[in-house]
Order: sequence, then structure tokens, then C-alpha cells
Amino acid sequence: MRFLQRLNDQQHQQGSGDGDSGASNRLEQSREQGDRLLAAGDEAIRRALSGNSESFLRAGRQQGGE
Amino acid sequence: MKTSKNEPRAETRRAMPILCGADIELANFVASAEPACGTGYEASRALLAEIEGMPIRKDSHSLNSRWSAAPAVSRTGANTGKGVYFPASGWGYNLQDVARRFLPGNGGCAYIDLDHAELCIPEVLSALDHVASWHAMLRLMRGALDRANEGRPQDRRIKVLVNNSDGHGHSWGSHLNFLISRGTWDNIFFLKAHYLAYLASFQVSSILLTGQGKVGSENGRPRTPYQLSQRSDHMETLMGVQTTFRRPLVNARDEALSGRSTGDDPSAPARLHCIFHDSAMAHGSCLFRVGPMQLILALMESGKVNPRLILDDPLEALESFSHDPTLKATAKVITGQHLTVLELQSAFLDEVKRYAAQGMFEGVVPRFEQIIALWEDALNKFAEGDLMALAPRLDWVMKLMAIERAIDDNPSLDWDSPEIKMIDHLYSSLDDDGLYRAYEASGFTEQLVSPERIAYFIDNPPEDTRAWTRAMLLRRAKSGNVEVDGVDWDRITFKIRGRYAWPSYRAFEMANPLGFTRAAAEPVFESCMDFGDLLDGLESLGSEAALPSHAIEVN
Repeated sequence: MRFLQRLNDQQHQQGSGDGDSGASNRLEQSREQGDRLLAAGDEAIRRALSGNSESFLRAGRQQGGE
Repeated sequence: MKTSKNEPRAETRRAMPILCGADIELANFVASAEPACGTGYEASRALLAEIEGMPIRKDSHSLNSRWSAAPAVSRTGANTGKGVYFPASGWGYNLQDVARRFLPGNGGCAYIDLDHAELCIPEVLSALDHVASWHAMLRLMRGALDRANEGRPQDRRIKVLVNNSDGHGHSWGSHLNFLISRGTWDNIFFLKAHYLAYLASFQVSSILLTGQGKVGSENGRPRTPYQLSQRSDHMETLMGVQTTFRRPLVNARDEALSGRSTGDDPSAPARLHCIFHDSAMAHGSCLFRVGPMQLILALMESGKVNPRLILDDPLEALESFSHDPTLKATAKVITGQHLTVLELQSAFLDEVKRYAAQGMFEGVVPRFEQIIALWEDALNKFAEGDLMALAPRLDWVMKLMAIERAIDDNPSLDWDSPEIKMIDHLYSSLDDDGLYRAYEASGFTEQLVSPERIAYFIDNPPEDTRAWTRAMLLRRAKSGNVEVDGVDWDRITFKIRGRYAWPSYRAFEMANPLGFTRAAAEPVFESCMDFGDLLDGLESLGSEAALPSHAIEVN
């Protein structure tokens, strides 16, 4: 499920009634730029996906606090 | 508990700057180790052993002991009759305060609370200084983590996560402490129910900007793939003094960290202990935890509480808002309207803007124009659907984008995959595997404070609060070979050796967080070389240091 896409689209649909194609273009540019920058996290995500995630989650169990 | 108030209320009172401190717990554990009792004990002590601070004790209260190394002075401050008084710390078997050491560098402190390393940032006036101070403390902890991991095998590395829940039903806190007047405290907890509900409603709506984001749900709440807030599922009551069970939206714990009130002066300071918010990595989320709270509390200080913004059921609304990242969920306010989280936040912002135009926040909330501008800009971007522009500013959006990207690139994964939950956790990891760290290094994250300002707060205290004098006294004691017997937020006790090395103890009180600023205290430090003279000089500041330094009159 693409939450962000849904949110993006629903807000855009609400605002598209006035035919603001400039805003639409800005959003598209913003998405493209953001996608490029998000790639900076891909290596960290790959490392995470290559680890033993179930063991990590069990080890991360915490006690109490506050 | 006060239930009535017969005397007439003062029409005019001083408005204090809404100073803010924070005590923030971290998740810590040893990777790949899975003993039944967990590894928080080992990890937290290994981390604290790498943080230098004071007092340093040569007795049995070591990191290997389960006994507290908290300040020696047992505080029995006056019970104001307005609630339960909790001493902040003291000697004794106290698993919630182990190995506390204050930092002569910046005036903050670090300790262990129930096997969680905990960082306390020094008191600041500005929300932007809060952001810088918090990231300074994270850098200190990152350094401690690196040192603690030296020589450890890769599969036994200590991990530190700046989050609030482990996905197994356990939650820990990221507490903020706001300076408010005793009069407003009484209004919230004892006199005016709509004050309490207003504050709770604001906090609930603030998760739009402050949530760190979380995969899944906990604590018996309905299943959800992703939610805005780490803490939401663990909030169970509207108000209470407790923090470890049935957690309240608004915490009524009355610690006298701001001086003890006699109950006669409604402008006397009190501390609002806010346990509601998530921990933050993104500068924007971090700023929005503090700045808008300062503004809303300033409204409440002035009696500007709009009951039309009060949620009918704040806890139900919190779950609805948090569990819907599409932001379509609505909640009923007491007028009968149903508002989305964005609409409710916008309504609070409108209130703030209205009173900002009347000059209400001058001298009360530093940089309020910038805070309001960033707040408005964020809400506008939500309204426009420009989430990519918000991702560098807000944790929950950044984390969601990263996870959706991972799912897109790995079709075998879905929201229930342990790999996705692991990415959720690693988002805030301070180790090399941290996702936020990767985005920050790449220049993706929005930097609201400069690296220089963050570096400044590693080695320097805020100049506009008592943290400056605390740090300077610790430094002077260290260089002058004066033993520090105990430190607390509002008191330092020294062990001073006189002739024949016979020790005497001297406690120095700093009840007012707004006093003992650099401007007030530096001349005394410069003119007094002898330590006893220095304490005499600081005490002689007397009422000047005891009064809010930026006090203004409000109606």
C-alpha cells in the first residue's frame, strides 16, 4: 500500500479544481528530487535487509523505563 | 489537592519565558544477544562508562553496582498541598536513577533509568536551541557508543535507538519539561477542566508534526501497517501522575525543579512534565515538539483557551489520527464538528497567529516568528500534498518514504515482514547502520540549526538559563580541586576542605531556572578566584537571580 501516494493524490485532487498546473509541476519536480535524495538511504536499507532481522528484533526487546 | 479557590484572582501577572528541558530515554541492547532478561543492563552501563561527568564518586556506587550514584542531597522540599511531591533523585536503591553524571561541558546530564541510558539536555529558552542541544547530546552518545563498541565483535555490538517502543509492547519516554506559572499549573490540574482538555487536544493533534512513525501497533490496539506516533498506542488515560502504566496524555507529576512555591504567588514557577511526545531525529520534528507547545502554553498562561478546539475524546482521536497516515481520519470536537488532524492543527495555528499579531509572545517564546512560519509552512505542504518537501523535515514522513521505497524495491516484503520492522528501528540507530544518519550525511535532511551550533552545545551551556552557572561551577570545582558532593537541577553541594583538610559541606541553590544566566553570573566568576568567595558572590545575586529575567506584564 502506498500511503504517501494516496495522500499525495487525494490532496492534489482536492486542489486541482482550479486547474493549477504549476502546482502540479512543482509537486512532480519535488517528487523527482526527493527520490534522488532518498537513494542515499538505499545502502543502509540493503544492509538492514541482509541482516538477521528476526534475531535483531528479539535482541532489541527492552525492559520498563520512564 | 486544591478543590476551590475563594480568594480573588490577580488580574495581572508576570509572563515568564516558557523555558524547556528534556529527559529522554534511549533503547540500548547488544545485537544478536537474546537472554530472557534482555541486555539493557549490560548495554546501558557500557555506554555510561564512556561518558565523563560529575560527581565522580570513589565509593561503592559504581557502574557495576545496582545502587544509585545520584546526588547526595535528599531533597524534602515543601509539599505545596497541591499534589504529590516527588524528589527528583536521592541516595538509595533507585533503579530509575543510576550513575547520574552532570556534564561540565554543557550543563546537561546522563544517567541510567531502568536499564535505559537517558540523556537530559540543559534548560534552554529557545526551541531552536533545544534542537541544537538535543543533537549535541546525541553526538555525545554516539561518541560513547563508538568507544563502547571498540573491540567488541561485530555480532556483539551495542545498539542505541532513539525511539520509544520495541514492538513487543514496551515503551519508554522522551519527556519535555516546560516552565509555567503555578497559577497555570493549578488551572490545568485543579481548577479548570477545559485547560486540561485543551492541552490534551493540542498534543494529540501535534503528532502530525512530531510523530516519529512506527510500523504496526502494540498494547492491544487494532492492527495497522504504519502509524504516525510511537507513543500513541501506549497512552491510556487523560491525566495522571504515573509514567510507567496507564500513561496519561497530560502528566501531573509535580517535581520542584523550578523552585518551591509557597502557594501564594500564581506567577511562581512550576514544571510541566510532558511525557506525550515521541523522540525525534529530524530537526523539524524536534522543533515542533517544543516550539508550538511553548506557544500554546503561553496562550494558556494568558487565559486564551478556546474551548471550540477541545476534542470530545482525546484518546480515541489519538488512535484514529495516529493509525491513519493518509490523514483522512476525523475526530469530534465538543462543538460537534468532525476535524482531521490537519484541520485541528491548523485551527490551533490560527489561534497562535491571532495572538502573535497582538504581541503576546514577545519576550515569552524566543524566535516565535520563525517557529510560526515553519509550522504554517509544514501545514500548507500537507494541504498541498507536497510530502516530498516534508520528508526532510518530519520523521514519520521520512521513515514512511524509506520503508515504501524498500517495499517497492523488494516485492517479497510487506508491512508484516520483520525486515520492515527492522528498518523502522534502524531509522533512529546511532550506530553506522542508522537510516537517519545516512540521510543526514547525504544532505537530504533539513537542518534548522547549523552544525556549528550543535558543536557549540557539546562543550558549552546555554547562556540564558541557570545551566550556564551549573556548568561553570562544575568546571571551577574541577580545576580548583573542590569535590562535588552532589548535583541536582536546582542545587549543587560541594565538599570544601578547609584548614587541616577538615571538610565542610556547602549547598548552592539555583531554584530559578531563568536566573544565574551568563549575563548575571559571569562578573562574579571573573572577580572571585577563591571558591568560597565565588559561592558567596553568586548567592549575593539573591533576588536578582531569583526573579524571571524576562518578566513582562500581561493581562
